[in-house]
Amino acid sequence: MVHMIQTSGQFDAFSRDVRLHVFSKAAETGGIPQPPEIAAALGRPQAKVEQALRQLAADKVLILAPNDGNIWAANPFCAVPSPFRVETRGRTYWGICIWDALGIAAALGADAVIRAACGDCSEPMLLEITDGKLTRSEGIIHFAVPAHRWWDNIGFT
Amino acid sequence: MLLFRAEEHIDRWCRTRDIGRGATLTPEQGWRLAYDWYKNKLKPEWRRHTLEETEALLASVGLAGPFWNLRD
Repeated sequence: MVHMIQTSGQFDAFSRDVRLHVFSKAAETGGIPQPPEIAAALGRPQAKVEQALRQLAADKVLILAPNDGNIWAANPFCAVPSPFRVETRGRTYWGICIWDALGIAAALGADAVIRAACGDCSEPMLLEITDGKLTRSEGIIHFAVPAHRWWDNIGFT
Repeated sequence: MLLFRAEEHIDRWCRTRDIGRGATLTPEQGWRLAYDWYKNKLKPEWRRHTLEETEALLASVGLAGPFWNLRD
């Protein structure tokens, strides 16, 4: 998922700490920590964590769920199960789209099996990454939204 | 961006949602794009790609033309 383009680009030190914690936990566990866990881990007030998450979301580093301030995706990692399941390093991860599912293997630098489903008929589809190469694949990737509009509605994109 | 079994599945998906067809990639193009996009995401020094870097990345996997234009 492309994180474009016009953002502040400025992370304060605490936002950086939050980012590193979220992404390292996601990579390590396959789960994305939410504000109460992040606050406990970093020893800071939850309100401060939520403020940092809003900044990171504004800078398109991650995506918050619409109504509750929880993290929906710390791309390429998705906080909830999706049709893009990635099995690697003995764990299961999810991406919000096929780009992010492939991105999980790239970010982790690991062999991976991606179990996806056809966007139309939901039939299972399988891709494999081995030694940094796409060694098994099927199907066609479709982008419905032109590149300069991806962030107009990132959930749909 | 979704994965489809075949072209006719893309057409049906677009038709049922009454949206125009977008652009397609091979899985290999998708992997190369995802690899270059995310390979550094977990590193402490990670930063977002600039507009110019993103344009170069798209071009490097053969994605060119109005659909891939990042500038309004």
